[in-house]
Amino acid sequence: MSAEHKRYVKKLKIRHAVIWLLRIGLLAAFLGIWELVAHYRIVDPFIISSPSRIVRLIGELYRENNLFPHILASLYETVLGFVIATVLGSLIAMALWWSKGLRDVLEPYLITLNSLPKIALGPIIIVWMGTGEKAIIFMAVLICVIITIISMLSGFIGVDKEKIMLLQSMKAGKLKIMTKLIIPANIPTLISVLKINVGLSWIGSILGEYLSSQKGLGYLLVYGSQVFQLDLVMASTVILCLLAGGMYGFVAIIEKIVRKHFG
Amino acid sequence: MKILELKNLNFTYHSKEQETKALDSVSFSVEEGEFVGLVGPSGCGKTTILNLLAGIYPAEKGTVFLRGNPLEHTTTKIALMPQRDQLFEWRTIEKNVMLGLEITGTKTKENIRYGLSLLNKYGLGDFIKKHPSELSGGMRQRAALIRTLVLRPDVLLLDEPFSALDFQTRLNVCDDVYSIIKQEKKTALLVTHDISECISLCDKVIVLSKRPAHILQTVGIDIDKSLSPLKRRESHDFGKYFEAIWKLLEDKNECGTQTLCKKT
Repeated sequence: MSAEHKRYVKKLKIRHAVIWLLRIGLLAAFLGIWELVAHYRIVDPFIISSPSRIVRLIGELYRENNLFPHILASLYETVLGFVIATVLGSLIAMALWWSKGLRDVLEPYLITLNSLPKIALGPIIIVWMGTGEKAIIFMAVLICVIITIISMLSGFIGVDKEKIMLLQSMKAGKLKIMTKLIIPANIPTLISVLKINVGLSWIGSILGEYLSSQKGLGYLLVYGSQVFQLDLVMASTVILCLLAGGMYGFVAIIEKIVRKHFG
Repeated sequence: MKILELKNLNFTYHSKEQETKALDSVSFSVEEGEFVGLVGPSGCGKTTILNLLAGIYPAEKGTVFLRGNPLEHTTTKIALMPQRDQLFEWRTIEKNVMLGLEITGTKTKENIRYGLSLLNKYGLGDFIKKHPSELSGGMRQRAALIRTLVLRPDVLLLDEPFSALDFQTRLNVCDDVYSIIKQEKKTALLVTHDISECISLCDKVIVLSKRPAHILQTVGIDIDKSLSPLKRRESHDFGKYFEAIWKLLEDKNECGTQTLCKKT
């Protein structure tokens, strides 16, 4: 390794370290200022809570065995909604790629459903499915599935026509074109859909819990705001941030593995 | 011996607004081992002819004969090499080359060995586990040609295979592709808008009119066949053929020649 290259690598490492320091520093400064503002009552901690109060409350919830049941309920609904919507949406997109006729017939419905604020369907879902976790999972699926169909279908249709013609010249039928070209060419599309769906499935499950639940982080959020317990609202929000970040990180790991195999 | 014969081929593209006649009674034949070029103005229907031969579109009228028999649309005896190499980035070079075998269900040990032997023979043996993005433009083009050859076709259809390359690479790849096709004793039909490229590679050049394409003239190229395409460009007859084809297109196509490459 030349001295010049060593200097270049060192510069890169320093830059990387500085970025991490700034990230951590930013968070520490935010928490520190928040704590001080609440501690010296510059703003009433009843309204904004404080990091120490949040940590205390999370500890209390844990000791009372009130933390994990809510976390697990939300996590279960979100992950299930996420998986069902991604698989179902991808399968529907495949069917729509396969049949242009079906695509033409369903296009206006897809556009309408995509534009519709899904929360408007909440009351109907509760009437049809009750107030349990089924309704919440359905809400999460509903929010993710349409965008999955539209994104995947647009990826499928966008595959280079010349590549399709190459396979046709090799006498490939639709199934071979799908398995050898369309699906592998759209692995990057699937990864971005997964990333979008992480956020959307959390929106779906929390919305569902707002509307109809006795457990879960969405329920804690609503309950906390109703009884003016802002510590609970803030604690739930912090836990939500950590869970959504963790789920995104999990998708990023999948992306790394997939990219290693699919280039 | 005639390996390929097209008789009165017609084709029309249909859209909601209009119908566009692309081919008007195109007839020509190709002898076994010949390298034949198709030139004509942009959009005249050159690629349509290749797509019909590759079985991508069915001809609306007319017949194609392969070795005297009507062309079956399930045959892989005619193979297409598209405009860009179209290698699949997520596959290694080896897997790209084997793609046709997977599609046709002929991935036997013997055919795999044949594919690997072609890769070794044409200088890609050390790159079989690499992905296309790790190869140069010329190497990618060679890999694409081997992907076509591994199906053991009788006729190769080359659809402007060098158009995506820079000029210097293009001349080198031209030499490479020509030498591989000749070594493998294949018949080739080349579509290009570059008259110079066509003369340097082909035994005869079929000049097409503007759309709907019909044949204006077939020009036999009589330049020493033992020379490489690059050396053929230096032949003193090269300019003569160029002028003849250029004039033919200029006279018959009004402004059609504006879309063709001038001599380089």
